[in-house]
Amino acid sequence: MNKTHNFRHGCVWTLCTVVAWMHTIPCIVADEAALQETPAEPPTQHSVLLERGATIYREQCASCHGDQGQGVDGLYKDRLVGDDTTGELTKLITTTMPKDEADQCVGEDAKAVAEFIHYSFYSDAAQIRNRPPRIGLARLTANQLRQSIADLYAHFDGIVGPTRDRGVKAIYFNGHRWKNEEKKIERVDPVIDFDFGRESPGEGIDAKSFYIYWEGGLKADVTGRYEIIVRSTCSFVMDFGKIGRQFFDNHVQSGDKTEFRQTVTLTAGRVYPFKIDFIQRERKTELPPAVVSLSWIPPRGVEEIIPTRQLIPYSPQATFSLQTTLPPDDRSYGYERGIAISREWDDSTTAAALEFADIAVAELWPRYQRIHKKDANENRAQLRSFLAEVVETAFRISLNDDPGDKELRQRHVDQQVDTTPDDAEAIRRVVLLALKSPRFLYPLADQTQPQSHRAANRLALVMFDSLPSDEWLQKLARQDKLKTEEQIKSAAYRMVSDYRTQAKTLALMHAWLNLDHLHDINKDQQQFPGFNDELEHDLRTSLNAFIEDTIWSDASDFRQLLLAERSYTTDRIAEFYGDAWKAESDEGPRLRMTGADGTARLGLLNHPFLMSGLAYHDSTSPIHRGVFLIRYMLGRTLRPPAEAFTPLSPDLHPDLTTRERVALQTSPEGCQVCHLKINGLGFALENYDAVGRFRTKEHSKNIDSAGRYADRSGAEVSFSGAAELARFLAESDDAHRSFVNRAFQHFVKQPPAAYGTDTLEKLTKKFRESGYNIRELIVQIAAVAAKIDNEPTTP
Amino acid sequence: MNRYLSRRDFLLKTGISVAAANLVLGVPGLGFASQAETPRKKRMVVIFSPNGVIPKHFWPDEEGKDFQLKRILEPLADYKDKMLTLHGINNRIKGDGDGHMRGIGCLLTGIELFPGDVQGGSDTPAGWSMGISVDQHLRNQLQADPATQTRFGSLEFGVMVPDRADTWTRMSYAGANQPVAPIDNPYQMFDKLYGQARNKELLASVLDNLSDDFRKVEQMISSEDRRLLQDHLAMVREVEKELQTELSRKSDVASVGHAVPELPPNVEEQNENIPQISRMQMDMMVNSFVADFARIATFQITNSVGQPRMKWLGIEEGHHELSHEPDSNEDAYEKLIKINTWYSEQVAYLAKRLAETPEPGGQGSLLDNTTIIWTNELGKGNSHTRDNIPFIMVGGGLDFEMGRSLKFGGVPHNRLLMSICEGMGHPVPSFGNTDFCGDGVLTGLS
Repeated sequence: MNKTHNFRHGCVWTLCTVVAWMHTIPCIVADEAALQETPAEPPTQHSVLLERGATIYREQCASCHGDQGQGVDGLYKDRLVGDDTTGELTKLITTTMPKDEADQCVGEDAKAVAEFIHYSFYSDAAQIRNRPPRIGLARLTANQLRQSIADLYAHFDGIVGPTRDRGVKAIYFNGHRWKNEEKKIERVDPVIDFDFGRESPGEGIDAKSFYIYWEGGLKADVTGRYEIIVRSTCSFVMDFGKIGRQFFDNHVQSGDKTEFRQTVTLTAGRVYPFKIDFIQRERKTELPPAVVSLSWIPPRGVEEIIPTRQLIPYSPQATFSLQTTLPPDDRSYGYERGIAISREWDDSTTAAALEFADIAVAELWPRYQRIHKKDANENRAQLRSFLAEVVETAFRISLNDDPGDKELRQRHVDQQVDTTPDDAEAIRRVVLLALKSPRFLYPLADQTQPQSHRAANRLALVMFDSLPSDEWLQKLARQDKLKTEEQIKSAAYRMVSDYRTQAKTLALMHAWLNLDHLHDINKDQQQFPGFNDELEHDLRTSLNAFIEDTIWSDASDFRQLLLAERSYTTDRIAEFYGDAWKAESDEGPRLRMTGADGTARLGLLNHPFLMSGLAYHDSTSPIHRGVFLIRYMLGRTLRPPAEAFTPLSPDLHPDLTTRERVALQTSPEGCQVCHLKINGLGFALENYDAVGRFRTKEHSKNIDSAGRYADRSGAEVSFSGAAELARFLAESDDAHRSFVNRAFQHFVKQPPAAYGTDTLEKLTKKFRESGYNIRELIVQIAAVAAKIDNEPTTP
Repeated sequence: MNRYLSRRDFLLKTGISVAAANLVLGVPGLGFASQAETPRKKRMVVIFSPNGVIPKHFWPDEEGKDFQLKRILEPLADYKDKMLTLHGINNRIKGDGDGHMRGIGCLLTGIELFPGDVQGGSDTPAGWSMGISVDQHLRNQLQADPATQTRFGSLEFGVMVPDRADTWTRMSYAGANQPVAPIDNPYQMFDKLYGQARNKELLASVLDNLSDDFRKVEQMISSEDRRLLQDHLAMVREVEKELQTELSRKSDVASVGHAVPELPPNVEEQNENIPQISRMQMDMMVNSFVADFARIATFQITNSVGQPRMKWLGIEEGHHELSHEPDSNEDAYEKLIKINTWYSEQVAYLAKRLAETPEPGGQGSLLDNTTIIWTNELGKGNSHTRDNIPFIMVGGGLDFEMGRSLKFGGVPHNRLLMSICEGMGHPVPSFGNTDFCGDGVLTGLS
């Protein structure tokens, strides 16, 4: 496995540099939240101050920082932007600037410079003022392309709605084939994991000759490579993705070949139908024991029996998941944006289109023909209608009789069909042309479309990262019933619980927690024996289940993410973390609820997965935890350190606690600019050791978990320990605004200010008023992004 | 039977031009078998037909160079001097599985089947073979050497192989418990061989429309957003230019190079189409040899216990059903001769196509460097014997002395498998079950 995160290589302290990890965390630059801080028209007194600041800046600062704070190569190349208050800037300038001559600019001078740069270019408000964000055109991101193609397929067969039913439907027959009169058991099995030995699987069933039919849906919550594993000592055949799409063919049970594996890319938020025919055949030779199981290795996970939570006890509609590899997108703003064109990307869109064309030929077209066999078919009319439907869905439009649409239909359908007498070839041509077209690849190039179509397009893009393919949504667009805010919200409410939105929300949470950087967590095996890949997998599963339950509960309360006392656990977690992590009941699925035992469980904040990830292999890292809290939870800007530092080795300071050691190393004035903020937050979690176990002592010294934070307005808050920190975060305006901002960017992939400079403030206010309801927030975000005010333009 | 449409119709149907199809044809610089002076290419093709033969009308009576062809082998008369008939070779493999299963499953592997749950009409149930088959073994040998490496190594053709994987439908094994499925849909085989090129051609042919589309969409968006779209269009143009250069370069090669097989359109996989599918597949095999895509091929007509109904010969019954009739059933007996003669004609067709195709960059014809081995899972249908398994060789790939009728008097077929390896230049100390390999390769072949 790759170890992508430098600091976790850290067997040797000296190899770890602080700057290395700092750079792995994207910096959120354009946070327009601070817009309100600065009055639109500076008062006169203020303008005097500004003028004074401007003069001093020109004379003492501009040579290194550039006249507009843009930086100077070779001297100080980074832009001067950030979210410090003028007070904090003043202090910084007073103590450190100009470089090596800090006493040259102090007092009123420092204050004037601070005011000037803050107002002119430093603050978020200044940046927005200087360059107002707009809704930029972007091509589909890799994930949007993947999801759109999955929905283009789903358009023809429909898509499963959310359900609370879990497990696998099972029918047990006496005898080796399906015979209704020999049907002995019908039930829902929680998982497929059976060892019948040489016994009968149930009453009335011959142990020597039986047949079990399993049918269900496999729910994938994240996109990635999944290895599906069936172990079977008997004959079996498995279909996956579509009933009729064969996945494993072990029709012949042969020798000791009992393990079957296949790796497949699954797209998040979709349920994949499957069925297994498992047959014990009577034979003259010795009968093997009947053993069968269905397992997987999910992305970044370890092998496990596919858990009940991921299984649905009936087979949903056929699902298509693109296997083509798509290059990753730009993430420099902290969310994926399709803003770069490369040959690799262009080639991947060709490969994706051809892959979809093949499945359209093999599955969609025969299905369409079956359903429409009574339709007129002169001049291949059926094929033309089928392809028109593909094009309409891919382009997010309705083809009508106006000249523009006729021309489009001519170019994209008829001209292609007329080129070849072969249906399969015609389908390939149309699909390739459609999926390579800017009309498909640039969803926001839809200005000529009617308002409701554009609204539907944006709703699908925001909620699903996809295109409108559900019949009900397409119908609302055709009927022009997505014009008012109420109409749009009502559609958004219907979409918000869909598995596609659930998957996108889970991805939001992973981005918010920066979880992509927390994998392959290795711990010192002498200090923490038993912390292994399996435990890490269980912890990740526990965290995901907790997040999912919290968000999709009725309250959907953001604060519970930081305060909830109950979580999910497994026997493995309980064994490692002790009784506090014991499941409420001994029975039930592998992943079960823990009790609310009143100890210090605080939602995800001190979840052992997060605490382990934000720590070194043998000690905690208050810096990682602090950086995480300030950037991700509170949405504040941090600069990378001016130079790389190697953390002090604990061996050199055996008498110091981690807190004391960090405080010692970060004590210089230059460090304190940032570390005052970082350490103050990170120290509050010192009660959780490198694997997230609660502790009160380190090297026989008591843990000091006192911490502090200065918010955007400059107000100082102090807390002691994780519980106080959690309560602070749950009620913090900074945390709320940061979450709303991140959610908006994740769902819309545009800056909030592009939809009006007060968008973020308005949404944060609504979030507060709704009791911090996350589902409601998603609907509000969708409503902002999907509301179209202007009439379509004519080309 | 030969209702081939014109070349142009075919190209229209598949949307592929000669130029595109030749993108992957024998074009230098693909990094496969080197064009430099190397020893001659050697090829081997195994053709399988099922259910045993009628020995009396199959095996020549005489031994040696002077022999008469019987009715079933008569279609091969033109190649008599390039042919070996190998009588007296027995499939001695015992163990699980019925006669047909062991017949096909041990034919090229020379080793037992695993115990399993597939029960035939008699004997014990069985699973897959315990070992690799000789075609796949040789493929691996050839692929391991850059001098003999080809794009695919081997190609597994089928004709109307039932759509189920079981011991009766698989002859080729990549290893123990790893049956290799033959491709019996000619269009699927075409895709495998030429799909990449076809996709390029397809892309090239829609790029014009695509550029139009870009221009239209560009008008709909604001000037600030156009840059991204223009970058994208520039990329489309670059691809277009590249494809044009590539396609025109390849068409120059094509004019002196190799023909692409002309598949008739819309041939469904149906019993009645067996003759046509057989020819389509063979034509593609010949083409893939010309392009040096592979040097090993298998050609499996139906399957062990296969039931083709040869209505085109006026035979309504299925082959397997007929093969169980006693010799005294004159009608069945005559029909079985006709059926086997038809298989023989297929072998002759392939020999003819290979013989009339010059060896690219080498001496003589493809047939001079290719040995066809026609075989069967049984010696005789109604007795299910695996003694005297039909082995007929045509062509000069294995460096055997051809134009003879040989009689071995009952030796294990493992020794023949060893001889084949040696003939292909990769001798082995044993093949399959070593119990049957003690006497080494067959004597008197070269």
